[in-house]
Amino acid sequence: MLSVETRNLEYRYGSGHRALKGVNLSLQGNDPVAIIGQNGAGKTTLVKHFNGILRPTSGNVLINGVDVNERSTARWAGTVGYVFQNPDDQLFLETVRKELEFGPLQMGLDERVIADRLERISGLVGLDDKLDVHPFDLTATEKKFCTIGAVLMMEPGIVVFDEPTCGQDMAGNRRLEQIIKTLARQNRLCITISHDMKFVTRNFRRVVVMNQGNVLVDGDVDEVFSQPDVLRRSFVAPPPITKVGRAAGLKETVFTVEGLMDAVKRQKESEV
Amino acid sequence: MALWDHPLAGTDRGFEMSASIAVRNFSFEYQGADARALKNVNFEIMKGDFFCIIGANGAGKSTLCNAFVGLVPHYFSGKIRGDILVEGKSMRQSTVAQLSETIGLVFQNPFNQLSYTAGTVAEELAYSLGNRGIAYEEMERRVQDVARMMRIDDILDRNPAELSGGQVQRVAFGSTFIMQPEILVLDECTTQLDPMGGEEIFDIVRRLNERGVTIVMVDHDMERVAEHADKVMVLDRGKVAALGTPQEVFSAADLDVHGVEAPDFLKITRSLYEAGMSGHKPDVTQSGAIDATREALC
Repeated sequence: MLSVETRNLEYRYGSGHRALKGVNLSLQGNDPVAIIGQNGAGKTTLVKHFNGILRPTSGNVLINGVDVNERSTARWAGTVGYVFQNPDDQLFLETVRKELEFGPLQMGLDERVIADRLERISGLVGLDDKLDVHPFDLTATEKKFCTIGAVLMMEPGIVVFDEPTCGQDMAGNRRLEQIIKTLARQNRLCITISHDMKFVTRNFRRVVVMNQGNVLVDGDVDEVFSQPDVLRRSFVAPPPITKVGRAAGLKETVFTVEGLMDAVKRQKESEV
Repeated sequence: MALWDHPLAGTDRGFEMSASIAVRNFSFEYQGADARALKNVNFEIMKGDFFCIIGANGAGKSTLCNAFVGLVPHYFSGKIRGDILVEGKSMRQSTVAQLSETIGLVFQNPFNQLSYTAGTVAEELAYSLGNRGIAYEEMERRVQDVARMMRIDDILDRNPAELSGGQVQRVAFGSTFIMQPEILVLDECTTQLDPMGGEEIFDIVRRLNERGVTIVMVDHDMERVAEHADKVMVLDRGKVAALGTPQEVFSAADLDVHGVEAPDFLKITRSLYEAGMSGHKPDVTQSGAIDATREALC
């Protein structure tokens, strides 16, 4: 069973800033999890502990039951894949193909295995016709998909996406949805940080809300988005359909047009 | 905070219907590319307008923004045809520095906007002012003003290279706002901010627009575009696919074809109307969606 567990996790940057203040969190299985919250809440600092990019100042991080401190970040890379918020922090080779092949080559995988993965993953991230392009000639969103592809090529059991929805258009968001669904089908744990609440409510059942270095709420998406005070405290605005439903006097929390229409019918029937 | 006015605001000429930006038969092909990024584009943005550009990634939106401020073709070289007049000045005949006296761009990727030659956020904010020879006292005043406005006054002494994505985005806004441009071009520039942070910055932009500053905004947030734009233009593979009011553009049946999704407000009002649950006609605004839902609940 895939799992990420933090116990009283604290992290203090060199400047003295205490970014995490005793986080206790347990993520298990293959249900995708979203992490939301205001800038500076500690979201990126938290997930950078999951493959040892950052090491706890105090407390513990257990990956599949093993303390993160027992291995180097390079050794964790095959178990936990982390896709950086800014693609330019991750890309460094001269073609998309080399970026995608780099991880598996470091893992010593067979050429045929790498070729098979390259075909599947480059298609999944929509870069199969750009394998020979220099990553710096890609658009901003293609760069993001290149970094996602580079991580997926190592087939880690746990995948962390940091702000993958940044700058995505309709097609990009649909592709991301497809990738997250594929990972769940393959029994992999996908943890995603996002500021796009439409995307979060459409794709995740479990939502972790962070605020000032700790977990404010951790629960089902309906439960989280039915608490306006909690959302306000974490600087999260509900998605447009939820806002409209609430402002119109709908008692249920809704995220889709169909959900809103059904909720309207139910509420009318119950009031008759 | 010191919001600045358009220089003509409040005068007889302040809001006359003349073009801030006039795009004339404009085409551009990046050096080494095998296709044109923009293909014979023609449109005008009126003074004081809130003008939004939408479209799929790769449609040419950022190329257009870069052309408004002269980065295309003076920094990104390539084949160019036609011209863009910014407050009457040809972007082809003007330098980036000359254009920056009128127009400011906040980049899509804020990490690309900062000079990183400055040791502190304060120096980063003052960077462009220094290049323009503004007196030290004035620079100091503007840095303090813009830092308060962007709520970065507590990080003025920090190294820009050590900031979070959201903080970098606020500094990037500040470094453009500090120049007090008559035209502000915003290229998907709230993506790194949390939703309320994005709303807060957007509120500043909206208030600047009320004071006469022309706003050109590229955004994937269709609800925000529908709610606030005077005009919306859809770009598709380098061409203008649609141009009109939000209601006109988003009501078009072929929106999906251009890689653009209708705002949720329109989807709600349209669905309720077509199901006979509300008499409220399809509407792109939030207030319209709330009214239609209330009506359906009655």
